[in-house]
Amino acid sequence: MTGVRRDVLICLALAAAMALLPAMVGTRYVITQITLFFIWGVVVTQWNLVLGVAGIFSLAQMALFAVGAYGTAMLGYYFGWPMPLAMLVAALVTVAVSMLIGLACLRLRGPYVALLTLAIAQVIYLMVVNDTGCFTNPPSGCMPLFGGVRGFSRFGDLGFRAILGSKWFIGQYYVGLALLVLAVLFSILLIRGPLGLAFKALRDNPGYAMSRGVGQLKYQLWVFGLSAFFTGLAGAFYAVQFGVVGPIVFSLTMLLFLLAMIVVGGMGTIWGPLLGAALLMLADEGMREMGDWRDIGLGLILALFVITLPRGLAGLRR
Amino acid sequence: MTPTAAAPLLSCQKVTKQFGALAAVSNLSFEVMPGEILGIGGPNGAGKTTLFEVLSGLNPATSGRVLLEGRDITRLAPEAICHAGIARTFQLNAGFDGLSIRDNVRVAAYFGRDNRRLPGLRLGRETEAITDAALAAVGLTGRDAEMAATLPVLDRKLLMLAGAIATRPRLLLMDEPVGGLNAAEIDRMMATVRRIADSGVTIILIEHVMRFLVRLSDRVLILHHGEAIYLGPPAGLTRDRTVVDVYLGEGASQRLAALIEGGGA
Repeated sequence: MTGVRRDVLICLALAAAMALLPAMVGTRYVITQITLFFIWGVVVTQWNLVLGVAGIFSLAQMALFAVGAYGTAMLGYYFGWPMPLAMLVAALVTVAVSMLIGLACLRLRGPYVALLTLAIAQVIYLMVVNDTGCFTNPPSGCMPLFGGVRGFSRFGDLGFRAILGSKWFIGQYYVGLALLVLAVLFSILLIRGPLGLAFKALRDNPGYAMSRGVGQLKYQLWVFGLSAFFTGLAGAFYAVQFGVVGPIVFSLTMLLFLLAMIVVGGMGTIWGPLLGAALLMLADEGMREMGDWRDIGLGLILALFVITLPRGLAGLRR
Repeated sequence: MTPTAAAPLLSCQKVTKQFGALAAVSNLSFEVMPGEILGIGGPNGAGKTTLFEVLSGLNPATSGRVLLEGRDITRLAPEAICHAGIARTFQLNAGFDGLSIRDNVRVAAYFGRDNRRLPGLRLGRETEAITDAALAAVGLTGRDAEMAATLPVLDRKLLMLAGAIATRPRLLLMDEPVGGLNAAEIDRMMATVRRIADSGVTIILIEHVMRFLVRLSDRVLILHHGEAIYLGPPAGLTRDRTVVDVYLGEGASQRLAALIEGGGA
């Protein structure tokens, strides 16, 4: 399988280039924006496994991201767990939640999957923001179990402030980079391996796939479970990167922004979602001073791509 | 000629498939011996494809039992029936359109025989060897990278057949393998099916092209309204009054009789 080798080499070369970057551009703003790109990169490469490779139109990915973020924050806030452990456990919880969602969507197709998963995400969101009963009463005021509209803060960090001082964000940068590299390698192995073949077979023709020995229940659970681990971990890392976790992670704007990255880059391809993430984050950056026009600009880019390049940037090679 | 002493490979016992008030397959019993080719014919709506849906598990029987080598497979899921050794081709030219020819067959080679409790990270040499053999068996060698979506109808049928063979079935169900093909293509498919049968695979095939059906089949089963109206050697078809009346018609019957006598079926 030379395809795997090629993709792994590309991944490692890009990783090496990104690893050298902080030595050249040291400003905190650029570094933290690229760290954010790593986070979104992880989410879109994993979401792409469900959406593009398995062809299941799930919109639950940001809710899973939120499970990872909230899980980490809550384990730190309520139990004082060290962050690496909290992050890992939160990612495993995300896997379990995702498999449940996969089970719920088993008999649904196309837009119905989108509706159900969006509904699940909205229900979780409403449960978080509408919960006003005090779970604990710290000096800062009433604290609902899931943080309410305010969310969580001061739940711990990865300890880079103690080691690197004011340069702590560079430590975070490398953790984010490592996370993205692992997530991309993971997606390469999946897409180019037997599981990827099973996912694509079920995407193209479920009935035919079943009669060739590919069970739908089993592999739907596999794809939901596998794509959730790094998504949850990305959410967990988001929590320690910003030190705050609030209901904004459920916002529809964010969901659509990430969905647009996958569409613009090319669904179902290995590098498309990452390309899309880079392009849209750069475009968003370029339109920072444009106020309300920023969202309209992103919408126009998405529309332009859907019309002129329906297979995304990665589709240009074919 | 089929040995009568041997145990049947497939045994259908009073199989019924009910859609509301309509019995698409009604109280149907028959057996298929190892190494046999059983041809199934009958008018449109006779329940032929429904029978395949039942056998392959995509649409399980309402009542009755299906046994494969004595094992009850009536209620097994389609993928489990595939693992048990029954592979099927479809009337509509099913395929994985987003995959290459090779990947189409690889899916079947990797997942078709083994349940793969824990799928690996690589397909492995065995899967590639099975894929090569299946592609060679239908004459698609050397066209690995072509996308399934772009193939003409004969190649799609051959690809579907390669996928079926790659699961290494004991019983192959073929639903109209030559529907929509021209005479030369039918001859090519006939030779291919004959080779597959000679390799030890038992075959049940549904076909309206009578030349194909009578030349290949050891026995023929004619269905009408979900019931068997004829089960016997192909040579007896044209002498059976009911078959001539409800399916063949007088003209086709005479042409078929000439074919059977002249063609050495």
